[in-house]
Amino acid sequence: MAWGGGFGHGGGVFGSHSSTSSGLPFGGIPSELMDEATKLLATEPAHEPSHLHFSPVASAAERRPLSLWRLVGAHRGYLVAASLLVIISSVVLQAGPKLTEFAVNHGMLPGHHSLKVIVVCSLIYLAITLASVLLQRLQTDVTGVLASRVMRDLRVRVFTHFQRLSLSFFTEEKAGVLMSRMTSDVENLQQLVQDGVAQFALQGLTMIVITAVLFSTNVVLASWTVLLVVPALVTLSIWFHQASERGYLTSRDRIANVLADLSETLYGVRVITAHNRQRRNIVNHRHVVGAYRDANLYTGRVAAIYGPSTNMIGIVGQGVLLGIGGRMVLEHRLSVGALIAFFLYLNRFFQPIQLLVQQYNSLQQGRSSITRLRELLSEEPDVAESPTARVLAPIEGRITFENVGFGYDPAHQVLAGVNLEIAPGESVAFVGPTGAGKSTLAKLANRFYDPTTGRVLIDGVDLRDVTLSSLRRQIGVVPQEPFLFAGTIRSNVRFGRPDASDDDVAEALAVVGLADLVARLPEGVDTPVHERGQTLSAGERQLLALARAFLARPRVLILDEATSSLDLASETVVERALDAVLEGRSAILIAHRLTTAQRADRIVVVEHGRVSDVGTPAQLLSRPGSYRDMYDAWLAAGGRDVVV
Amino acid sequence: MPASSETTAAPPYDRDVAVPLGGVRSSYPGPSAHISRDSSLAWWRRVLPVIGSHRAIFFIGIGLSFVSLVLQTLVPNMLNGAINHDLLHATGGLTRDVVRITIVGVLAGVTGIVSRHYVYRVAYNVEADLRSLIYEHLSWLSFSFYDRVQSGQLISRANSDIRSVQMYSTFAPLIVVQALIGVVAFGFMLSISAPLALIALVVMPILYVVGLRMRRVMFPISWITQARLADVATIVDENVNGVRVVKSFAQEEAEINRLADAAERVAWAYIKDAHLRAVWSPWVQNLPQLGLTLVLFFGGQMVIGGHLGIGAILAFNAYLMMLQAPFMMLGQLVMMGQRAKASAERIFEILDENPDVHERPGAFDLEIRGGAIDFEGVDFTYANGSVVLEGFSARVDAGETVAIVGRTGSGKSSVARLLTRFYDVGAGEIRIDGTNIADVTLHSLREAVGVVLDEPFLFSISIFENIAYGRPDASRDDVIAAARAAYAHEFIEELPEGYDTVVGERGYTLSGGQRQRIAIARTLLVNPPILVLDDATSAIDVHIEAEIFAALRALLAQRTTIVIAHRISTIALASRVLVLEGGRVVASGTHEQLLATSPLYSEILARSEEA
Repeated sequence: MAWGGGFGHGGGVFGSHSSTSSGLPFGGIPSELMDEATKLLATEPAHEPSHLHFSPVASAAERRPLSLWRLVGAHRGYLVAASLLVIISSVVLQAGPKLTEFAVNHGMLPGHHSLKVIVVCSLIYLAITLASVLLQRLQTDVTGVLASRVMRDLRVRVFTHFQRLSLSFFTEEKAGVLMSRMTSDVENLQQLVQDGVAQFALQGLTMIVITAVLFSTNVVLASWTVLLVVPALVTLSIWFHQASERGYLTSRDRIANVLADLSETLYGVRVITAHNRQRRNIVNHRHVVGAYRDANLYTGRVAAIYGPSTNMIGIVGQGVLLGIGGRMVLEHRLSVGALIAFFLYLNRFFQPIQLLVQQYNSLQQGRSSITRLRELLSEEPDVAESPTARVLAPIEGRITFENVGFGYDPAHQVLAGVNLEIAPGESVAFVGPTGAGKSTLAKLANRFYDPTTGRVLIDGVDLRDVTLSSLRRQIGVVPQEPFLFAGTIRSNVRFGRPDASDDDVAEALAVVGLADLVARLPEGVDTPVHERGQTLSAGERQLLALARAFLARPRVLILDEATSSLDLASETVVERALDAVLEGRSAILIAHRLTTAQRADRIVVVEHGRVSDVGTPAQLLSRPGSYRDMYDAWLAAGGRDVVV
Repeated sequence: MPASSETTAAPPYDRDVAVPLGGVRSSYPGPSAHISRDSSLAWWRRVLPVIGSHRAIFFIGIGLSFVSLVLQTLVPNMLNGAINHDLLHATGGLTRDVVRITIVGVLAGVTGIVSRHYVYRVAYNVEADLRSLIYEHLSWLSFSFYDRVQSGQLISRANSDIRSVQMYSTFAPLIVVQALIGVVAFGFMLSISAPLALIALVVMPILYVVGLRMRRVMFPISWITQARLADVATIVDENVNGVRVVKSFAQEEAEINRLADAAERVAWAYIKDAHLRAVWSPWVQNLPQLGLTLVLFFGGQMVIGGHLGIGAILAFNAYLMMLQAPFMMLGQLVMMGQRAKASAERIFEILDENPDVHERPGAFDLEIRGGAIDFEGVDFTYANGSVVLEGFSARVDAGETVAIVGRTGSGKSSVARLLTRFYDVGAGEIRIDGTNIADVTLHSLREAVGVVLDEPFLFSISIFENIAYGRPDASRDDVIAAARAAYAHEFIEELPEGYDTVVGERGYTLSGGQRQRIAIARTLLVNPPILVLDDATSAIDVHIEAEIFAALRALLAQRTTIVIAHRISTIALASRVLVLEGGRVVASGTHEQLLATSPLYSEILARSEEA
């Protein structure tokens, strides 16, 4: 629905055509292309769902450094076919002028009239033209399939590697880098394999073939031709590509400014109007747009010089060729047919040189993409699974911290000398000021990080001796920031147990008190949600994350401020549910609200990276200490909903 | 004042008052023409005035381009003559022909460079004009427009649609000129040999059709590919940002298979793309060769028959190559035209929007004498049909501070929005010092009424510039004084770069309460005689709110203030409270009076405290 029929028709006014299958296949596709697109998609076969196996340890093959050659080599048949096709094409394509020369010299020149020669030459010409149509078709198909397969493999490989890396790798600054590795770097390579390499080879070979033909026809004239055209054209092309690249970069930065300014204006339009800033902002926008225009004008000037200059080199080259070659014809050192062939070949020099310069750029981009991907793939996880790791049997849930020390960077210790034992079935609340190390302690329990000193045991087994998946499947974590995946409410709740039945999903939603909300939604559990979507409030998202954890039925549950966005009523519901779900399970609760802490079996006070006090809520309140101070402050402030 | 009501020229703006973002100043003067207001015209005729404002360089560009191309078409004919006369019949004059060709080559080059230079200049100026026009139009549109439209979509549309209109409207003439050259070249071919010219040209219409067909099928698949690449990017994005969840539930394998499926779908799209290209593109590339085959076959026989010189074979080769580009581009032109039409219509939909709130003819500047406000029988309904105010009447005396309290959705915020004419009343009227606000200029009204909005939007400029947003010429001392009054000075000083800290995405991220304090400072700096605080302290800690109010009390003494609030602490600022229910005032009095008399008031306050 392009933006036709006015604005006011509900949600996606600008035509994002949502579809039932994954994602938005028509995200932003212009309406005028819809019919063709639908027809195309009808030809798509149903793809087999993938059944790849994940191993946290990279295989020997996956450890070999990435190179273009290895990537392509995995599809050797296609590679050989593509190379052969390129070689044959480059020769066949250049036969035309040579045939014309033969026909002129042996069929048309005064005294050499021969209809037979002309007919035969024409037919051969026709045949090779049709042959090159076929060759090019085959080559495009082959390199297309080759490139697509190679890049699918590469995407899966890089992504698998992501999954092996430890949490410490996924810092905020790296998120953008990881994205660009998986998107623009892989796409660069796709272009390179699909067009770049083949074109580079084809154009290079074409140059060689033409030069060889020219020199075999007449060495003197060939030398002149090459000298006249090649250096000028190469210099001009290199200049053009460097200058236009610079121009494009500036222009890209500046269009980003234009859009940023527009976007800020749209989001801030109420403030702008309230403060009468429209005129001033319009002037400002003109400067921003003008800067973008100026960058474009530079690019335009560069392009304006390049195209016509190339033409000029061609025409002047033809003039000079006529002068030198014509004299040779008059002196009978060259046939007219050969001169004509020279003219025809002269024009054919231009495209390969221009394309070569252009492809050289993408070749370089591709090489740097390979290097960057190779670096990423050689990144080793900090929390690695030991080769002798065994599967952790179903656990009771006894968690032991033994003299644990830890720092995200070695110079800065977050935890030191922590000793703590959580009994099976016990719920323990970690309390303490921000930055004291509560969350870090929890992250060590499911091995997001390894302690730098000491060890963490579960049922008496060191976490480092068991497989990661068998460990983490038994420990559920609900983080403070509930993360939702693009999909439905159902798929998000089922995330940890994809085979769960609808009844299980409904039960999990009911337990956290979301059943009513879901029932009110027109699409129920099939309501689409996504990370930045507005369907659910922050509190509802937290409840969904809790439902997800409940459904997975872990033996140990870690709630890392998982109820911080809930109002008191919802929190009470959740806590009641927790009591039921936690029956017989161990739990670590990290909470700012002391109401939550008060319900735990035991409270652990964490301060400055150490456990400063442990006891039941009643014990801690009965003696002076930080917990009682916190509690008193909390009571004084109204005894409700206070951030400690 | 609104630019949108003008039909041709955009209003003049003083370029020196603003310092541009990023510090890049440009000599770009802004658009000097508007698109045609007549929506019954064809889309390209509506854009015509914008292109027309650059007509001088446009016509020079197109004209020179024609000259350059004519010069180029002369060359093959000159070569033909040179071979047939100078070489085959040794008539002499070879040097003269060489010099001529060289001169023609240089002239064609120079005219070509100049012409393209001009054509590009028009193209990029038109693009800048369209961008500015849209921006300027959006700047004056009413809030009812922004209530309906998603900003993100507006941006992406504005971006690609402007590009496609600009491409078409400036390059189409260039392609047409190239096609005209085809006519000239065809003329030369006819003059050499009419029958051979007709034979050689047989392939060209096929080339046109094939080229068109190819673009038709290639275009959608490239969109599909982009959409699927976006799916892959989404999965990667989720797995980077949601890495803790994936690892917690040990769902790596499921995620890898999800990605593999998406990657397979991308692979299919790429293979399909390559396949469609494999089917069509070799024909496009080799059809001219087919023409050359025909020339050799028939031309050769004509040479033998003595009807044609050998040079003609070369000339025809060159002309066919020359014709290849225009014919392929004609196909492109048709495609671009369809895209441009659709894009232009989407742009027009923005430009044809008119602001609902506009000034009456003869509107005068509002003069404040005290700042008493009267709401009389005000009705207000949002565009989506929800009735908000019905018979709302109230008076706020000059210098008085009044709080408006009500349940969520009772229309409290609408009162502020109507007072500044963000929206217009449906019925009734609002008067300031006895003057109906519908009779005054929007600028003077909004200068007199300062609103601190409930969502404290800050711009990604420095904190100093944010506070000075409504008074860009304010001195540093004034800005600091305003920041102190809003209790923001202390935390601003503690930021890494103090008042010069840039707010926003790549700058420093402020908490909700800090943003609200800056928003308050921003409005205080303007020093409006009438102040509206629309839930402006909701995210600020109660004790800091108390500090702010202590500072405000002195400031508010001389001005009329409306406080829209939920919290008791906020209401404490007011000397009188209005309780809003069902779109009208149902109770009025001091806090204590209302607590005693109005059960609704107690209920609202209790509920607010719960939340």
